[in-house]
Amino acid sequence: MAVEARVNPLVPMEGRIVKIIEETPDVKTFHVTTEKGKPFTPMPGQLAMLSLFEVGEAMFSITSQGPEHLEIAIKRVGMLTEALHEAEPGQTVGIRGPYGNGFPLDMFYGKDILFIAGGIGLAPVRSLINYCIEHREKFGHLWIIYGARSPADLCFKQDLFENWPRVENCRVDVTVDKGDEGWKGHEGFVPAFVEKLNPSPEGKVAVTCGPPIMIKFVLQSLEKLGFRDDQIVTTLEMRMKCGIGKCGRCNLGSRYVCLDGPVFTLAQLKEMPNEY
Amino acid sequence: MVKIAKEKLPVLLQAWAAGAMVFVPQEREGTRVFLPWNGEGKLALGEENTLEPPKDLFFPRTETMYRYKVQGQDAEITEVPSFEDKMILVGVRSCDARSFALMDDVFLTKGYVDEFYRRRRENTRVVALACTEAAPTCFCTAFGIDPGRAEGVDVQMRPLDDGYLLEAVTEAGQELLNQAGSLLEEAGKASPPGAALPSLQVDVGGVTEKLQQMFEHPYWTEVSRKCLGCGACTYLCPTCHCFDIQSENLGNTGYKFRCWDSCMFSEYTRMAGGHNPRPSKKERLRNRFLHKLQYFPERYGKFACVGCGRCLDRCPVNVDITRVIREVKEVTL
Ligand SMILES: Cc1cc2nc3c(=O)[nH]c(=O)nc-3n(C[C@H](O)[C@H](O)[C@H](O)COP(=O)(O)OP(=O)(O)OC[C@H]3O[C@@H](n4cnc5c(N)ncnc54)[C@H](O)[C@@H]3O)c2cc1C
Ligand code: SF4
Ligand code: SF4
Ligand code: FES
Repeated sequence: MAVEARVNPLVPMEGRIVKIIEETPDVKTFHVTTEKGKPFTPMPGQLAMLSLFEVGEAMFSITSQGPEHLEIAIKRVGMLTEALHEAEPGQTVGIRGPYGNGFPLDMFYGKDILFIAGGIGLAPVRSLINYCIEHREKFGHLWIIYGARSPADLCFKQDLFENWPRVENCRVDVTVDKGDEGWKGHEGFVPAFVEKLNPSPEGKVAVTCGPPIMIKFVLQSLEKLGFRDDQIVTTLEMRMKCGIGKCGRCNLGSRYVCLDGPVFTLAQLKEMPNEY
Repeated sequence: MVKIAKEKLPVLLQAWAAGAMVFVPQEREGTRVFLPWNGEGKLALGEENTLEPPKDLFFPRTETMYRYKVQGQDAEITEVPSFEDKMILVGVRSCDARSFALMDDVFLTKGYVDEFYRRRRENTRVVALACTEAAPTCFCTAFGIDPGRAEGVDVQMRPLDDGYLLEAVTEAGQELLNQAGSLLEEAGKASPPGAALPSLQVDVGGVTEKLQQMFEHPYWTEVSRKCLGCGACTYLCPTCHCFDIQSENLGNTGYKFRCWDSCMFSEYTRMAGGHNPRPSKKERLRNRFLHKLQYFPERYGKFACVGCGRCLDRCPVNVDITRVIREVKEVTL
């Protein structure tokens, strides 16, 4: 009788960085693969634990995927992310996943979708945008509103300015807190920009992700525009270690963000302790 | 029913130790600890429970997860050999036996199996010991635990004046007794002393429902005022399961390990850039009590406290979960 092979979920696979794209002065996108091809096939909004063995391990959203690789966009903020930014293509990394619930796709089928992101917060949202584009007939109008501190800080510029605007029935609006000489687009913060663009909540679902302070004000703006709590989806970040609901670290009340999140509707969030 | 004479128990432990690692409470430096039986230790089965719970036998304080070797851009990992030793835990009290079931919920359910825990847990037999005396800090009965009869164990032992009654609860337990052979004798009518009845009476009825409305209550500021954030309560608690993952580098090799952590430490939830969702001891102590009495019941349908009394016994400033339960039920919302 064949013995059932057990996989230890806490031990990563050996992966390799095959391509690095410099998005902004402090964000790079890493393409990761393994000898056997793509490490795993995540759903939009799911996560990966990425590690440099001698430095550390941390959780990141999987921003996109190809047939052979996963894409992870990483902002330089501390020890591990610093070391990853110094890495060159060919670097071996540890990777495990996919983790988290991902976006509740059922909620989006047949609806118009409003994506609102700031800074690196576009990374998780991008996985959903790309999914909607790949399965274009299942979703209604796509409207992407994105902002960053400055033109140099805009992530995924090729998607923002070339790929997405070409998609049928898709609109992209970009703002920066403060422009530079070459900037001809909108200037101002994301929440105010959203109010100015004045999207109607009719038949829509809104997805928002970004720095906590942006999320806070975007939620207020959406409320003003008449969006209900069950029409709004956002993602949370807590410190994580195991990613599988065992180490206890990322709890929000009785839920673990690594397992039951990171995606929650605003209606769900309001029922949970305000401790994030 | 069979029994074993007191002086023969070490012989039985020795027989079991031929095929497994036997852990049993023994006296060491004035405290009672679960230690491997080597035939010479001083058994500590008569008195109070061990200072530390036996949880580290399934969930060690530190545990190597895998090794790695780094060479330039290349790196390689090797898994550590899986834990294959058999263990027999002897003298586990009813409260700690319940804690194993709670740990099983955490490590073995909800989508993922923790392989490190599973290997140790599956290879372990548990021989419980009924309590005949309760410490002043014991309150297991509050959670429906019977100090005279443990749940989920293989053999139940009950102290007699001159020995122990032994009852096999599972097949594996019967096999253990079969190994004892002529060391056992028919117990006849020997009746064990009654089980201990904790004097500390705590009524947990309705406490979860009350806590669900108390997240913002000023009570948490008050109760946490004296807490030192030392984490002793969580280290001694048989149901606390939080861990950290770290690496240790030795030249171009190293290993990744996990180790116990505590939600009472500020580092625990601190994120890059300094944001901390539980910035002060108020939020941290609240999380500890809510985890035991509200979050765990919501997630797993059981309280994550077994009334062992270790935390109230050892907290340097007398933060007392039994008092918290009582006060929570009394405070006005
Ligand atoms: C669900 C989720 C999705 C994320 N997605 C992305 C992403 O797509 N791109 C991106 O750049 N970053 C993302 N992050 C944040 C990323 O995990 C942190 O930036 C990273 O942990 C910082 O590690 P460091 O070693 O460089 O920083 P240090 O400050 O040196 O970190 C020390 C330790 O703190 C922990 N830690 C610190 N900050 C965080 C944090 N914000 N969240 C969780 N753990 C933290 C890590 O475990 C790390 O080991 C995400 C976090 C979560 C929880
Ligand atoms: S909370 Fe205290 S009394 Fe309850 S199981 Fe943990 S250590 Fe024992
Ligand atoms: S043992 Fe007492 S002082 Fe120490 S962290 Fe626990 S409650 Fe606070
Ligand atoms: S990261 Fe360990 S429980 Fe969520």
